[in-house]
Amino acid sequence: MDKLNNVLKANDIFNIHIFGLNIPISDSIIVMWIISVFLIIFAFVITRNLKTIPEGKQNFAEVLVEFINNFIKDNIGHHWRSFAPYLGTIFLFLIVANIISIFSIIPTGEELYKITGLEFFEHWPEFAIQPPTKDINVTATMGLMTVLLVLGSSIRFKNVFGWLKGLAKPSPIMIPFNILDYGTRFLSLSLRLFGNILAAFIVMELIYGLISPVVPAFLSLYFDLFDGILQAYIFVFLSSVYIAEAVE
Amino acid sequence: MPIGGLVAIGAGIAVFTGIGAGIGIGYAASKAAEGVSRQPEASGKITTITLVASALAEATAIYGFVIALILTGKIG
Repeated sequence: MDKLNNVLKANDIFNIHIFGLNIPISDSIIVMWIISVFLIIFAFVITRNLKTIPEGKQNFAEVLVEFINNFIKDNIGHHWRSFAPYLGTIFLFLIVANIISIFSIIPTGEELYKITGLEFFEHWPEFAIQPPTKDINVTATMGLMTVLLVLGSSIRFKNVFGWLKGLAKPSPIMIPFNILDYGTRFLSLSLRLFGNILAAFIVMELIYGLISPVVPAFLSLYFDLFDGILQAYIFVFLSSVYIAEAVE
Repeated sequence: MPIGGLVAIGAGIAVFTGIGAGIGIGYAASKAAEGVSRQPEASGKITTITLVASALAEATAIYGFVIALILTGKIG
């Protein structure tokens, strides 16, 4: 029970004091910083000295960009170019964020204390690389970003009157439901991602506790890799479907 | 009367949403198998659609899971 509560609540590592505000920095924020730095470096390395005839790492970059572009083009239609960079970024970020628990090789303070016996490690902040998407604050932000993007692009491409007209689309009785739709989309997007990743995380923790050697490695393939990539794909797919509905 | 036990039972009942998700995913998978056996050349597209549909059907189970999590937080 206590362990479950520990999984659910944000684990604050340190606080930042700025302008008289006290901002707690939780471990999911630190993991997201790590992911951002990794993705930025990855993007710089992979796109350095591009050539007309691709070779080596440029092949990989082109396949990746082309896959994302085709995916967005299939779903959104002729406005795809405005949305492909954002959705591609979200896709890459979510993939890395969901599967990052397979890179959790940093030992916790307690383990270091047991191995080395040094007093210093006993008060080490408890930091482990866990998927940040198992924190509901992260996924709620993701869902909010998508809903704001849907709202903004709807107003941008159809202007305010077109958007208001779209709210009363099938008949004026539907206006409250269409407004409610934004709230339910936000809830379903964020809760789907949160619930899937948290469920996979809890199941993997139980398995690690139950049977230690060999077996978790194979189950991790499904729960960490497959489920994580599938959920990132689903999130981007649903976002693009909502956007397509908003701009048409 | 202690309320904790009832809350725990409620959390258990919330996870019954898994039944709906199971039926939905099973139905999607059976139809996908049917589709592939009729038209093997469309298997790539069918696989994608099946995966997406399964994940959508799974959402109901996830809602039940989230409700159960919220309820377990309330057990004294």
